Amino acid sequence: MMDPKTERQTIQRARKGDRDAVAELIKSYQRPLEAFLFRLCGKPELAEDIAQEAFVRVIKSLDRFDERFRFSTWLFTIGKRLLLNHHQKMKPVTDSEVVEFRAHDHRTPYAAAEGVERSTRITAMIAIGLDALVSPQREIVLLFHQQGWPVERISAELKMPEGTVKSHLFRARRRMLTAIELSGTPNPEEVFL
Amino acid sequence: MTEDQDDFKVRAQRILVRVLLALRSESKRPPVGSTDAFRDDLRAETLADRIMLDFPHRVLPIGLAAVVLLVVFCSLPLVHDLLPASGMVAQSTPVAAVVESGLKERGADMSEGMNAIREIVLPFASGDAPIEPTRMAPPSEAVAPFKKS
Repeated sequence: MMDPKTERQTIQRARKGDRDAVAELIKSYQRPLEAFLFRLCGKPELAEDIAQEAFVRVIKSLDRFDERFRFSTWLFTIGKRLLLNHHQKMKPVTDSEVVEFRAHDHRTPYAAAEGVERSTRITAMIAIGLDALVSPQREIVLLFHQQGWPVERISAELKMPEGTVKSHLFRARRRMLTAIELSGTPNPEEVFL
Repeated sequence: MTEDQDDFKVRAQRILVRVLLALRSESKRPPVGSTDAFRDDLRAETLADRIMLDFPHRVLPIGLAAVVLLVVFCSLPLVHDLLPASGMVAQSTPVAAVVESGLKERGADMSEGMNAIREIVLPFASGDAPIEPTRMAPPSEAVAPFKKS
């Protein structure tokens, strides 16, 4: 990710129509945004599409960007809204579709139970842990642990007191731990990075 | 809690730590030179090109329209000054003609009225004394309507 000063300069260049500045912004935030959206929706292709749409909207509206805030905060907010809109537009997925999707998904407990490669087990454990979380715990965990945002920034973004954010984080980690325990807790040595 | 349960708990906690660390690594850029980094860069470049394709279309028409408006607005006084010289403004417009004829009619009516008044007043005025307007005494010379003390 860019430091705030470089970010401001790049945004100013992008506003003037500098194509390289636009590419730099995308390169910096593409992976974090996709990772965040993927962990919210569980579908890599959808996360990629939504992230692209978020970039298109944000860069076309750069004139309206308030430089007192972080670009990533704005980008992630737009991305999250687009994902919510997508979920509202789509019809509910039937049970059979969920089973089919999960059976082919290496990030789920099903895949873990099938004894897939050891390198994918950590991915399966992430999914087990995150699946146990409810809103807004999942989002808070992702912003804090995945994106590395400080508590005060999450508090400002989600418009909730810092104490509430910390409390959600604590409860979320406890829920994840319980979910991992219930999943049968494989040997930690098998779950390597 | 038995020793086995404690061990189970500790193992779960270690996995949770690894899960959270793995989560953190997801948002980091892949190392430069790796296939993932190359793929990410390629996608970013493609998306930047796509966005920039729309960028000029959005900005140019607004900018051009603004420039044209500015030029027209600024040249209006100049055009106004040039037109009388070429005689285009000198030609009376229908509205100006109507106003002008109206004023002429009123002027004619007024002069007729004045003539009529003059005809009425003329017999009362003596032939040798020309009609002069009454001289108004200045306030200092005016006779006070009360006795001076």
